Amino acid sequence: MPPIRVFRKARRLLAAALLLVAASALTASAQDYDPKGSLTFATNADPTLNPWNASAVIESNLINTILFDQLVRYDPTDLRPAPGLAESWETAADGLSWTFHLRQDVTWSDGEKFNADDVVFTFNDAILVKELGANRASTFTPVDRVVKVDDYTVVFELNRPFSSLPYYLAYYSGMLPEHVLKGAENPLTVASFNKGKPVVTGPYRVDEFVSGAYVRLVPNENYWGPKPKLASITFNIIPDGNAQVAQLLAGGLDMVSITNPALLAGVSRNPNLEVIRQSQNIWYFVALNLDDPRFQDVRMRQALLSAIDREAMISAIVEGYGVEATGPIAPLLQAFYDTDVAHWPYDPERAKSLLADAGWTPGADGILQKDGERLTIDMPTGQFGYLVPATLLVQQYWEDVGVEVKVDTIEWNAFIQKAVVNRDYDAMLAWWSTPPTPDQSGYFASSAADVGNNIPNYRNPELDALWEEGRAATTLDGQIAIYNQVQQIIAEELPYLFLWYPDMIAVRNTRIGGMYDINSAANFQYSFNWFVKP
Amino acid sequence: MTDSAATSAPQTAPEASASSAKLWRKVRRQPLGIVALLLLVVLGLAVTLGPVIYAQAPNRTDARNTLKAPSAEHLLGTDELGRDVLARVLAGGRVSLSVGLLAMVVGLTIGTIAGGLAGYFRGRTEVMIMRLVDVFMAIPNFFLILVVVTAFGNHPITVIVTVGIGFWAQMARVVHAEFVKVRGYEFIEAARALGATHPRTMLKHVLPQVVPQAIVLASLGVGWAILTEAGLSYLGLGIQPPLASWGNMLQNAQSYLWLKPELAIYPGLFIAITVLAFNVLGNALRDMFDPRA
Amino acid sequence: MTAYILRRIGLGIIVLWLVSVVTFFLINLAPGGPSAAVSFERTASEREALLKLYGLDDPVLVRYGKWLGGVVRGDLGVSYNQGLPVALLLKQRLPNTLTLGLAALLTATILGILLGTLAAVYRNGWVDHLVSTITTLGMSIPGFWLGIVAIILFAVELRWLPASGIVSSGRSADFLDRLKHLVMPAGVLAFTLMPNVVRVTRSALLEVNRADYVRTAKGKGLPPNRVLFKHAFKNALVPVLAVLGLVTTALFSGSVVIESVFGWPGLGRLAIEAANGRDYPVILGATLLAGLLVVAVNLLVDLLYAVVDPRIRHD
Repeated sequence: MPPIRVFRKARRLLAAALLLVAASALTASAQDYDPKGSLTFATNADPTLNPWNASAVIESNLINTILFDQLVRYDPTDLRPAPGLAESWETAADGLSWTFHLRQDVTWSDGEKFNADDVVFTFNDAILVKELGANRASTFTPVDRVVKVDDYTVVFELNRPFSSLPYYLAYYSGMLPEHVLKGAENPLTVASFNKGKPVVTGPYRVDEFVSGAYVRLVPNENYWGPKPKLASITFNIIPDGNAQVAQLLAGGLDMVSITNPALLAGVSRNPNLEVIRQSQNIWYFVALNLDDPRFQDVRMRQALLSAIDREAMISAIVEGYGVEATGPIAPLLQAFYDTDVAHWPYDPERAKSLLADAGWTPGADGILQKDGERLTIDMPTGQFGYLVPATLLVQQYWEDVGVEVKVDTIEWNAFIQKAVVNRDYDAMLAWWSTPPTPDQSGYFASSAADVGNNIPNYRNPELDALWEEGRAATTLDGQIAIYNQVQQIIAEELPYLFLWYPDMIAVRNTRIGGMYDINSAANFQYSFNWFVKP
Repeated sequence: MTDSAATSAPQTAPEASASSAKLWRKVRRQPLGIVALLLLVVLGLAVTLGPVIYAQAPNRTDARNTLKAPSAEHLLGTDELGRDVLARVLAGGRVSLSVGLLAMVVGLTIGTIAGGLAGYFRGRTEVMIMRLVDVFMAIPNFFLILVVVTAFGNHPITVIVTVGIGFWAQMARVVHAEFVKVRGYEFIEAARALGATHPRTMLKHVLPQVVPQAIVLASLGVGWAILTEAGLSYLGLGIQPPLASWGNMLQNAQSYLWLKPELAIYPGLFIAITVLAFNVLGNALRDMFDPRA
Repeated sequence: MTAYILRRIGLGIIVLWLVSVVTFFLINLAPGGPSAAVSFERTASEREALLKLYGLDDPVLVRYGKWLGGVVRGDLGVSYNQGLPVALLLKQRLPNTLTLGLAALLTATILGILLGTLAAVYRNGWVDHLVSTITTLGMSIPGFWLGIVAIILFAVELRWLPASGIVSSGRSADFLDRLKHLVMPAGVLAFTLMPNVVRVTRSALLEVNRADYVRTAKGKGLPPNRVLFKHAFKNALVPVLAVLGLVTTALFSGSVVIESVFGWPGLGRLAIEAANGRDYPVILGATLLAGLLVVAVNLLVDLLYAVVDPRIRHD
């Protein structure tokens, strides 16, 4: 063939090829998700479909996040408050009120419009009514009531400054439909709502609820946001973590939260699964009962922390999926996390010398004693997660420095009753899971000792004042300065012996698209983005 | 009957040796039973003498040496907290076997006393006791044990008593039936006529007749008790850590199936073999005592 | 006969009442309260409000009285942790346990009678020993261990059967799908129940075989198999019937653990969840229901027994 003909032919072929590529790219982007795709998750018990019902805890939180939109969301990049059902908000100059401007285009799944009445109802008639015992009601104690200014504006009237209100409004705080629940004697316990097909604002609504088996969601036709891309979402009810992993491996589940990283070994063999590490504001700790004079000496607390090899514990208990903790503010809160604080690396010799400084010397049997009293610590533990193995490791570390530790393993509810309600313990190991805000006063303030969440009963007026200043601070820099001070004091004083910040690990099928690799409380607020790859 | 009673008295001595020879012959015909018995004896010695011979401590944790393979220092490797597996299997055996045996004893004692009194005295005593037996047999064992353990906690003593209570009703039924049967025998009436008191009659004459059945049930009962304790501990309601039992070792091991499946296999295997041995022994004893064999 | 029936029913009711008393008082001696009220992240004032809401500050006898009054009216109370009426929960879960139980019972009975017959016919032969081995294994291997192994083998490795649950989502009417979910739990449960049936069948057949009337039949020249099936079998079934009562009780116990392993939403799992969550009304309701079923089955067995064997009637 003459060269010019070849050239023309080649040009034609090239054009055709380019056209083909362009065409397939176009069709690919038009069909970049499977419109019939469905996802299956697991939850460990029948959920209660009402975020404020006292029974709606870990098994209900995620499904409620999908169903019930919140005033505020977490920004997927930095977890700061972002608009949800409220478009914007501002606080008054004196800090004693917050005004929220609501979206005007939101409709409930039954067609009714969402407006200020729903917000007012959710707070004034449910959350703030003490007798109803709503979930997390104690976090909203600074709120006196919510006032409707007009159909799309509400004001939160406070009795003291509450700068972290938006953070808490984004934490499993869905709004309830006033027009459905207003007639009920107790709007939190309407069974046809909580265990049936509730009226919702989220991108998906309940289609089927088979007790003990599964809950099936389908797209909400009246959703105000982007059109959901999944045909259905199902939550299978599987109480046992090992069974969840087994079903994940057998292909029956698309995503599972792993509480015990040891299970990941089975997962790694499967090419369709990927492991996602999501950090969150959870901190594991050992609490020492500060009503006990022995523990009021800060050297004792510092010694007991130095005696624990936290690195080894992280490796043994969570397979390395955790970071040694210095205080209650996790690295997740990048703006506030302060590493320039006292550290207490594993050093049994230092521990022993600190104990000696505090007046404890080894007795005849090797156990430390002071004024004839043996250093014995009662440490109850509850059967949940890995509390028991972690407690056993701590027991061994303390015995290695001459402390006698008596571990008593009891059932979870009994443990709560004993250690948390009655504060009947010398030491106990547990965790706090908190919204991603530096305001952690509820776990440290003197006002929260004895009956609140300040389990060690720590009392430090200087720190109390700082927490209040933090809440009142209006600028980010102001807040950072205060919370840095807070962290420095806490790391030195050790009201809790901080252990680690666990990574939340989820194992996900690679066919899922559109998910953010952030903690579930935030991730599940964006379920309208999820799709199944074609 | 009366004739043989009269003529058997002077012949008790030679008959005794004749019957013990017969017994030995019967024993010899149960080779499986003998093997089972030997196995149990070896197991018993191992778990009792274990700590003397094998120096590793079952509860000593070592977070930097978890899930290690068998080595010279740790003959079966280490578990998820770095504890020696063999030491824990032996310690667990001590606990599981003790719980099993003691629970069986509890059930056996209560059951025999209740069933015996009911079967011997009949009348109102019988009605009351057997009604109680019906109640306890109407509540499925596990539900009952669940209820008791939740109410009273899971201290080892509580677990033993609870598992034993799950067993007494069956025991009582059998003993009751046997007592009713034996009580009707004429030699009992004869003894009573000769002036024997109730307790003496029960203990010296009736009870010995029940012993063979009781032994069989006891052997099977231990097997059942071990399995029940294992199930309870697996559900987290039985023996609590750090105390090791084969059942709670299985529960821990479930999370590590992918990393180190042997952690689940050892306790499960030991449970199966021990219970198997008790069951084989029980069957052998039953065959041995069967008058028609 | 009617007097006998009425008496047995009357006794059954008394037994049930005693069951309720025993369970109620045992539960109320437990420390801790319903898990909703004692969740870790709740403050003391929230807890107090909840306890009051549940009426848990009344004295024990008052609570029992209120509960019993409700039961008589058909109201079993409301679950603390799920907010649903207990009767509704039981109604939802019971069919699942019954399905599992019946499937396991049927399998265990059929297989058990089959194996027991084989063992009796080929007495002391290798068949007998094989059957004996299988049954002893069935009595010795922990059911939950077998379940875990089965899940690993059939669900994870071979992918023949689903790992847990009762039905795949969205396919609640698919019979085949439900059957696939039933296979492993019913199979494992049956394996643990079968030994009793085998043992009783075998010994009953052998005993009957030795009976005079059978020897007479054999002496008359009837072929041995015909003797077995025509005469011996019918009479051997009587003790098998008796053991079925026992097996049903064992069934409920066994199902508690099996339901946990396989995530089967039945009564047993409900009871465990309720026990762990200190959900008093649910534990009471579940135990009472289990007791009722056992009493009913035993009653049925007794009645059938009386029909079959006139000697028993005049107990």
